[in-house]
Amino acid sequence: MTSLTSVSVAPAPTALEPVAITIDGLGKRYGTGPLVLDDINLSIEAGQFVCLLGASGCGKSTLLNIIAGLEKPTEGAVTVASGKAAVMFQDAALFPWLTAGRNVELALKLRGVPRKDRRADSLELLDLVNLADAADKRPHELSGGMRQRVALARSLAQDRKVLLMDEPFAALDAITRDLLHEELERVWRQTGRTIVFVTHNVREAARLGQRILLMSSRPGRIVNEWTITDTGSRRIESPEVARLGDEITDQLREEIRRNAA
Amino acid sequence: MPLDARTDTIRGGATNDPSHDELRRLEAGLDSLQAVPETPRGAFRRTLDGVLPPILLLIALVAAWQVYILIVKPRPDLTPGPLDVFDSLVSAWSSDRLQLAVSTSLERGGLGFLIAIAIGTPIGLLIAECRPVRRALGPLLSGLQVLPSVAWVPAAIMWFGLTDATVYFVILMGAVPSIANGLVSGVDQIPPQLRRVGTVLGASHLQMATLVVLPAALPGYFSGLKQGWAFAWRSLMAAEIITMGGTIGFGLGSMLHQSRELADLSGVLATILVILFVGILVELVIFAPIERRLLRRRGLMAAGLR
Repeated sequence: MTSLTSVSVAPAPTALEPVAITIDGLGKRYGTGPLVLDDINLSIEAGQFVCLLGASGCGKSTLLNIIAGLEKPTEGAVTVASGKAAVMFQDAALFPWLTAGRNVELALKLRGVPRKDRRADSLELLDLVNLADAADKRPHELSGGMRQRVALARSLAQDRKVLLMDEPFAALDAITRDLLHEELERVWRQTGRTIVFVTHNVREAARLGQRILLMSSRPGRIVNEWTITDTGSRRIESPEVARLGDEITDQLREEIRRNAA
Repeated sequence: MPLDARTDTIRGGATNDPSHDELRRLEAGLDSLQAVPETPRGAFRRTLDGVLPPILLLIALVAAWQVYILIVKPRPDLTPGPLDVFDSLVSAWSSDRLQLAVSTSLERGGLGFLIAIAIGTPIGLLIAECRPVRRALGPLLSGLQVLPSVAWVPAAIMWFGLTDATVYFVILMGAVPSIANGLVSGVDQIPPQLRRVGTVLGASHLQMATLVVLPAALPGYFSGLKQGWAFAWRSLMAAEIITMGGTIGFGLGSMLHQSRELADLSGVLATILVILFVGILVELVIFAPIERRLLRRRGLMAAGLR
């Protein structure tokens, strides 16, 4: 797993896998304000790990919310082939009056899982993120990283093929974030979810993504993308990740510089 | 979507590879490093910490009062000593007036409070969740909360005469706005993220209200209930002092009024102390334990208050 063959930058290959998300001519503005998102066209294959990268305020979270159905596009259309998507936020947003296990069970309940199966299912999901022992703990008794893992288990409980993540590890310390990258990658490989991962952290995107989309700011457009042919695991410290990170950072800075005038 | 699809995909992966075990051990180590160790104190110690300081203060106050009486020697009919007040309590007890007054008042206060909860809760929920209702009713409700409910006594006497209905009406006018307002502020303080999670998880309107909004609003709602009880108890005393006779039973307010008419200052002071004591007791025995439990379960309690 640790031996990395190559991280190469290549144009997006023509889709062979079934398409999970299609975005067509999407635009968004709030009221009569400036354009936040402009003419976004995107097609994401099923099972792909896509990182959406951009500076703060470039509209990447807005794009994610539109895919999630939490906001409506001003123009264009978004199609999620499997129906609705599961979402995970930067803040774990666990319900503080429920234990970790109950938080997962609530998602199962809202999905329609019968009561008798919920307990066992939630334990299985918590075990997937290595938290089966913490099922009876309340959110305030858990560390930030543990809370995010419960949130991950909760979004997996929704049983939706597409998982949208809005800077889920941005508030964590570097050691925890590093571990959660491994955890998330493992869960992704094990469950075959399609993941759209929003981040402003270039290294994080280079570490996790199979496909990295760079967004410009004001209005938000997708200006470049990288596809990483290697599918094996890679470490955030590896030279390949660093090289890709440097390249993306250069582009990102150029995009940011354009806003100086 | 078939329900067992997820189980299949989760079980599908291999979990026996060594790097996964290593990750698990790493994570478990980090979890135990980051966990906040709780040091619970025993129930006895907690009770002692809560009960001892107020009792010591009470003893000190009574002692100061007695010393003042012994040194200054004021007119006993204008400044009765602690012993006179104690005698009044004993005589009220032995004539069964005290027990009657306390039980009558507590029954009215408790029943009125429960009715106020039943009325105030749906009103509060409606105001919190329905924008037009909030615009129309919100200011009125805040106004009603400021209006002293004793102001309703004359009107209530004209409407209901000297009956218990008058007393209950005044209690409701005092408690309902507090309870409704408490629920409204509880709902307003819900982090918007929790509602978004509810939406993302696919909750219907009803599920959102019962599984997300109401439990999330519970701390605010509960402090509204506490305030509602305080208003109910105060309104009740005021109503009992003003309205006497008719079919109205003998409550603590009536006892206060009676002592005043007999110019029995130690009786008046004794009754005031009983009213105060009942208020403290209800807070300590009913509200405080529920509130502590509620806040501690959510990690909202400051370390010093545990």
